[in-house]
Amino acid sequence: MNKYILLSKWSGLVFCFMMISSCGHNKNEYHSVNDRIEAESKDYNGTSITSDAYIDHIKTMEIMEGDHTFLIPERKSQIQSYACTECHTKPLSEMQKNNESYKKAHWNISLNHANENTMNCITCHDGKNMDNLQSLTGNQIDFNKSYTLCSQCHTKQFDDWKGGAHGKRIGGWAPPRASLTCVNCHNPHKPHIESKWPARFNTQIEKERK
Amino acid sequence: MGDSIKKWFSLNLNSKEKQSSDSCGCGKTTGGCNSHTEESISDDDFMEAAVNASIGDERRKDGFEQVFDVKMDRRSAFKKLTASLMIGAGAVSTSCSVIADDETKEKAQIDWEEQFKGNYKLMTDEEKEGTVDRLVRSYQMRTGKNISMSSKNAEEDVLFGYAFNISKCQGYMDCVNACVEENNQDRNSQMQYIRIHEMKDGKGFNFNEADDNYYHEVPAEGHFYMGTQCFHCDNPPCVEVCPVQATWREEDGLVVVDYDWCVGCRYCMAACPYDGRRFNWSKPEVPEAEVNKNQHYLGNRLRKKGVMEKCTFCVQRSRAGKNPACVEACPTGARIFGNLLDPESTIRWVLENKKVFRLKEDLGTEPKFWYFMD
Repeated sequence: MNKYILLSKWSGLVFCFMMISSCGHNKNEYHSVNDRIEAESKDYNGTSITSDAYIDHIKTMEIMEGDHTFLIPERKSQIQSYACTECHTKPLSEMQKNNESYKKAHWNISLNHANENTMNCITCHDGKNMDNLQSLTGNQIDFNKSYTLCSQCHTKQFDDWKGGAHGKRIGGWAPPRASLTCVNCHNPHKPHIESKWPARFNTQIEKERK
Repeated sequence: MGDSIKKWFSLNLNSKEKQSSDSCGCGKTTGGCNSHTEESISDDDFMEAAVNASIGDERRKDGFEQVFDVKMDRRSAFKKLTASLMIGAGAVSTSCSVIADDETKEKAQIDWEEQFKGNYKLMTDEEKEGTVDRLVRSYQMRTGKNISMSSKNAEEDVLFGYAFNISKCQGYMDCVNACVEENNQDRNSQMQYIRIHEMKDGKGFNFNEADDNYYHEVPAEGHFYMGTQCFHCDNPPCVEVCPVQATWREEDGLVVVDYDWCVGCRYCMAACPYDGRRFNWSKPEVPEAEVNKNQHYLGNRLRKKGVMEKCTFCVQRSRAGKNPACVEACPTGARIFGNLLDPESTIRWVLENKKVFRLKEDLGTEPKFWYFMD
């Protein structure tokens, strides 16, 4: 009789032990890496690592779009002949009237962005105040926030860019986040990117596979 | 020296302090180190002396247990390590020599300690710093150039992950070049961790028909590009098969290799389903001017012949908050890197908002490298 009690006690103990060991989440034992990410990021408190040092040579500005707050490079100081009103002292319509007395400028810019029905210069540029851009409805847009202009049509790209899936991150992975803005990669007058030769050809692999 | 935390033997013959033990490091109990010259003892005696010098009276457990976890007399065990012993003997001989100058002695001391150091994975932080200091000093003595080497551990609350946009990659291969330069890969064999595969549209991931060594204008009509490299699996089969535990997964998810502990069996290379690992068939060479001197012990420090290496997500950069070299070099923004545990990170946004998938997901290797499309 005693034996049976002892046996049942033992099996109870063993059972308990099995329960504990199966329920207790070992730190490195998750069913998948997604489970691990979910579990371990629950009480995320940030890290001591920052990428401040890697962006302090770039003039940046903070923007807030939807749920996302991040840095983008400041633009106006990078445009060669900003402010535009240094030349564009009068509205565009008046400057174009006396064609002979003014030197032709921007001769090297040809617009190759959508078709003529959709876009011309004043779709984006404000003919009355050349220092600003304008939205489709005629609202002024600052050159530093040119992405708001692009996002009028390219909404999908804009969403991806805000989240971080489109565009190039600069600095490092650690906060604060800094990303290039549309015009840092795409020429707004000619947004298509030309094909080019790859940076490398591995002659050794070629030899080995012959 | 012989304090209790060290996992390898130190001769410490080069120290300015007087040796306290009654037997000198060279193994002689009578007379000084200077009382003999090379030709005064036979090779066998010399070997005996080297064994004595390194073992001495010391019989407690130490780092050698990692090598000889077998029931064996320590004397005979030590004698079996002939190759190592010869280096050790060399060190003893130079250390005791009257002719050798301080620098040669220091070199011998470093060689000795490096030869008998333990597995990096098991080292304490001081030991890690110790080996890094020795490697830096050794490089300085051999080349006259200074490098910086880090032994920075994984940061808490960090798990590195990577996302790759296959609709953005254009096949420029700037990432490959940046990787080779950053990680001091062998220039002779043109080793590269990253492969960019050119694949035909409409055929899916067909690696048999893909070309990873194209040379024509890119992007080519009717093709898409995808990159592969080490995926830093959360359940890495390469780690599982390593017979000497020279490769392991760090706390921040990086799968790393201790190049000094690797025996070069290449099991890991066979176990990796993604061709993520590379082997040094010959002595890797990097022109002195091109050596990246910002190094990490587990990352881009110079390797030797006969060891495995692979992508470490540029541990020397990523643990300092930078992006890996490939991410930084990519002009298209197809490569996204970050901390998977940070809910605010861009990598998390990609995982939660884009349709992501991984390569050979059914193997259960749990790669921390996701592909996605626009």
